[in-house]
Amino acid sequence: MLTLNYTLSIFLMIVLPVLLAGLLRRRFQVAWWLFCIGMLTFIVSQVVHLPLNDWLMKAGILGQPGLDESHPLWWNALLLGLSAGLCEELARALGLWILTLVLCRRQGTNPQWTLGQGLMLGLGHGGIEAMFFGGVMVAATIGSLLSLQGVDLSSLVSSPEQLTALQRQMDQFINAPWQAYLPLIERLIAIGLHVTLSVMVLRAFQKRNFLYLVLAIAYHALVDFIAVIITASGSVNAWAVEGLLFLAALPGYLWLAQVMRQEAPPAPLRTPLRRELALFWAALRKELIQQWRTRRMLIVAVVFGLFGLMSPLVAYFMPQMMLAIPGAEAFADLVPPPTPADAMVQYVKNLTQFGFILALLLGMGAVAGEKERGTASLVLSKPMPRWSFIASKLVSQLAVYLLGFALALPGCYLYTVILFGELSFPPFALLNLALIFWLLPYVAITLLGSVLGSTTNAAAGIGLVGVVGLLIASSIPQISGLLPGALVGWAGQLGSQAAGGIDALGQAAALATGPALGALAFSFMFALVCLVTGIAAFEQQELP
Amino acid sequence: MANTAVEAAIECQGLTRHYGKVKAVEDLDLRVPYGSVFGFLGRNGAGKTTTIRMVTGLAHPTRGRAWVAGIETTSADSSARRMFGYLPQSPAFYNWMTPVEYLDYSARLFDLSPSQARQRISEVLEVVGLKDASRRRIGGFSGGMLQRMGIAQALVHSPPVLLLDEPTSALDPAGRYEVLDLIARLRGQVTVFLSSHILADIERVCDTVAIIREGRLALVAGRDELLESYAVDAVELEFEHIPANPAPIPPLFLEALQGQPWVSGIAANGHILRVSVNNTAQARPALLALAAQHELHLTRLEWVRPTLEEIFLKVSG
Repeated sequence: MLTLNYTLSIFLMIVLPVLLAGLLRRRFQVAWWLFCIGMLTFIVSQVVHLPLNDWLMKAGILGQPGLDESHPLWWNALLLGLSAGLCEELARALGLWILTLVLCRRQGTNPQWTLGQGLMLGLGHGGIEAMFFGGVMVAATIGSLLSLQGVDLSSLVSSPEQLTALQRQMDQFINAPWQAYLPLIERLIAIGLHVTLSVMVLRAFQKRNFLYLVLAIAYHALVDFIAVIITASGSVNAWAVEGLLFLAALPGYLWLAQVMRQEAPPAPLRTPLRRELALFWAALRKELIQQWRTRRMLIVAVVFGLFGLMSPLVAYFMPQMMLAIPGAEAFADLVPPPTPADAMVQYVKNLTQFGFILALLLGMGAVAGEKERGTASLVLSKPMPRWSFIASKLVSQLAVYLLGFALALPGCYLYTVILFGELSFPPFALLNLALIFWLLPYVAITLLGSVLGSTTNAAAGIGLVGVVGLLIASSIPQISGLLPGALVGWAGQLGSQAAGGIDALGQAAALATGPALGALAFSFMFALVCLVTGIAAFEQQELP
Repeated sequence: MANTAVEAAIECQGLTRHYGKVKAVEDLDLRVPYGSVFGFLGRNGAGKTTTIRMVTGLAHPTRGRAWVAGIETTSADSSARRMFGYLPQSPAFYNWMTPVEYLDYSARLFDLSPSQARQRISEVLEVVGLKDASRRRIGGFSGGMLQRMGIAQALVHSPPVLLLDEPTSALDPAGRYEVLDLIARLRGQVTVFLSSHILADIERVCDTVAIIREGRLALVAGRDELLESYAVDAVELEFEHIPANPAPIPPLFLEALQGQPWVSGIAANGHILRVSVNNTAQARPALLALAAQHELHLTRLEWVRPTLEEIFLKVSG
């Protein structure tokens, strides 16, 4: 129940912003690229905001609320609120200012900003915050707490106060499963607030009145001030905290509702949602047939199936192959006997070494190839929404890789059991899940490269840069725990457990250490962001 | 949406597309009446394809809007694309599909029921003459077959408007004839918007002609009206070649002609005399009488009508 609640909550924190943006796109006929600009303004704001807070603390101007008694709480809350308000609202304003310049240059006139555009910018800004600081970071924290179940907490902390705090956190975590939805509720309140603030900043540009910008900074600072005060006090019930946060955001919501009443929205999209989904299925059906007819499905099935079969075989016969080398008999005592753990190591190594290469080779031409040949323009002159064109390509590719894993899994499992006599299935199944999530970002970034590139070669270059970037980022210690590389480490641990005979799914799930669960959520979020960015870019592209 | 847009099969208002400093299309206002076969003429690079791509939603206007059958195509809504069929200059298909599979895929995108789809696929393959090749892979098709396949996919959902971008430019004479014949047969069933730089094609099948020049609309008129309005009131007389005769055109006839009140100009070129007139009604009987009076040996007497090519060259600079 606990795991299910948190999984659902984390999933919704990552997916809901995109779903809401999809609905907004239909209701206000507003483009996806504004969602991406909103995401970008949040990222830019944090590039300044986080180091600024860090500097304020190091300079002794700001204390850590709740931990540092050198400054009064109200002072810390005020500074934290102001730094958030200034960084985020100025980033929003900067984004809008740059957009105004670009659109003015392109169209020859000042753009007429609409309410729908403001709402979409806010959803992007609050959406990426919910995805990362909500979904991914909560997943990482929950993963850490899951892995602490049954562990002697006193061995992890240095003071009785820390032990009490940790114990209280663990009790809350275990005994109140419904609290899993608290971060989700908080993120929804925050998304609403970001939408309000984005519309306020947009109003400053619409009405050429920069008092709206000042108001947005002040209101953001005020809400954050209240949030810091009530959370740092520690005496307020967690549900009441969210209630108070909602009350703090309520005036903004009411202002937004009034603005929405004043401004008549444009006509919604004519195509019903049901029809758009039917078009997505039609596109997906075509993609799956194409994967089959162009042999891509076969290639993936053969490669993955072979790796599934070969990994235990290679592990089993490796000592014999080594000893078959002339002169190697002398080292016979040094060659350890093969174990199922060796089969698992081979399996993880083979699939991770070739997985992203396959993803790159098979995915780089998915969109760029169609643009290059002209097939895309003919299909998109029909009533197919561009989002379904892109989404169907990602889903069909994932389906092909799922098929690959569906063949590799039983192959490896059966051969390992036949050759070594034993392999626990639950951790081995989780190992495959970890590898699927590991592959997901590579497939998604290759697809994004294919959207951005005008030719297959260009797409291959962009995709390669993205893939290499992910691989390099996975080796940076500060962030590696959240990146796909961490999933390979987790898969390795699961492989050892599978070989070691742990057969309870619960025990295997407990191996989802903090970084691994965070990395799972990050992979999913990363793929979703790549998909949305791909759709946004594709919507703006002119097809030859 | 402008009310007028409802009345037109295609409507463009202030349609503009700039690529950096290049003004591909500039403030294009255009109305294509229902039922017409509308020729969109222009030199290479005049903005024909950009206009069509904006109307189909494949390119985004810098400003301005376009409607097809009353539904805006320049908005984010893809539903307007049900109202037209589009054939690009070089249609490209999935080579692994057969015509039936491609048309079935198209039919699904247009929300045709399976029975409707089967019927329409059969009909359009018959119309474009690809029935026998319906189960062959498109990858092996010739240029002419691809063009016919392009027309088939544009017609499969029985759209009220057909947008054809240079449908004959890549074809050999036989293929060109087939496609033009097909377009001519569609007259009265759908509104056809046909862009081309091949003037003979436009003159042959279109009833209304627009000429685009450097991204701006230079002229729109009915074909016959256009030919009429640009007609030069002139007649050409070709005299029989007689080797013994030193002057191919009798001087006395020339002298008499110059004295006529309906003559505005005379130009002789060897055996051919071009006479410009200022009153056709008066000139037609009088000229014949004058020729008879001078017992002229004529091999040809023709009232000159301009070709679309001449008008195009004049209008498009």
